[in-house]
Amino acid sequence: MRIAVDVMGGDYAPHELVAGAVKWIQENDSQVVLVGKEDVIKAELTKYVFDPSRLSIVNASEVIGMEESPATAIRRKKDASIVVASKLVKNEQADALISCGSTGAQMAAAIFILGRMEGIERPPIVASIPNMNGKNTLLIDVGANVDCKAKQLLQFAILGKTYASISGIANPRVALLNNGEEESKGNSLSIETHSLLKHQPDLYFVGNIEGREMFGNSCDVVVCDGFTGNIVLKTMEGMAMFLARLITMEIGQMPSIFNKLDYTKAGGAPLLGINGVSIVCHGSSKQEALYNGIRIAEECVNREMVKLQQEELAKII
Amino acid sequence: MQEFFTLARKILAEQMDIDPETLMMETTFEELDADSIDIVEMIMALEDVYDVEFPEDEKKDYSTFGALITDLYEYLRQMKNA
Repeated sequence: MRIAVDVMGGDYAPHELVAGAVKWIQENDSQVVLVGKEDVIKAELTKYVFDPSRLSIVNASEVIGMEESPATAIRRKKDASIVVASKLVKNEQADALISCGSTGAQMAAAIFILGRMEGIERPPIVASIPNMNGKNTLLIDVGANVDCKAKQLLQFAILGKTYASISGIANPRVALLNNGEEESKGNSLSIETHSLLKHQPDLYFVGNIEGREMFGNSCDVVVCDGFTGNIVLKTMEGMAMFLARLITMEIGQMPSIFNKLDYTKAGGAPLLGINGVSIVCHGSSKQEALYNGIRIAEECVNREMVKLQQEELAKII
Repeated sequence: MQEFFTLARKILAEQMDIDPETLMMETTFEELDADSIDIVEMIMALEDVYDVEFPEDEKKDYSTFGALITDLYEYLRQMKNA
């Protein structure tokens, strides 16, 4: 297994990301390819002792900044770390890639380099949210697409269903995140999407749900646009940290249950509907999050996520 | 120019799932609800057909379909004459 790590993107690049990748190969039997400015990476690596046969560097002289237009930057900066890392996966020189850089650039690289699956216009990011049943509810999209059309939300629903199916959930229940349960609730996008989901064959659509129901047992997949999903995800993370601190102050120690809600433990989340494994991490990821992101990448490869998604999609689209 | 326009129109119309006849030179990308991914996708499809790499001019703000393809065509014409 070889995972390409874009070590130039993110708030703590490259030092924390190099540290996380080195820790991974020290504790696991796989390889990493660090993608970025070679001289910078080599300087970072002097801090560590590791098996050099399991770590390689691929030089990429450019970086795509958070402020750049993703689609044009992908075209213009052909030697950007996210472009080079995506090409490694495309050319089968790596099994998966992981990045903490611009999500938009990662999505654009996924579209233009890895390619989309049949019937998918925009790849969404799926996140697993712990629920009351001790299982997970899938939230899709958590940030790849801030402006969505109803037909794209339908595609997210189908991708969510396929991802839930390959995660072992039979006949997954799909819901639309809204500000009320009634069909007529929400903005024009919600109303149009509800109508599309309701009439989609092969989709077990259970209707609208409100945010608080995500943690219950009413559905397995929650669909929303990436703008809403990202706000929901980060609000949950902030709320979990807030509660953890309050309880710690009250009882003197943090209950271990909060580890489940710690985003650094989750690591990253995959882009769906593309012909390759591309794991999106928080821009604020440090070494532990990067380490766990690599774990997610390997799990996606081991579970043959791409092949199974393609097979599931072919049954529906 | 007409052949280039017709092809670009066909590509973008297919991407946006609209009738090509409704896509005019003065149609804005905002009207089409086309984002930067849609625009780059059309440019890359044209690059494949004409085996050329169009330059990326970030300073230009193409608001209409016509303004973009006029510039792309002009670049293609210059390349052919070079």
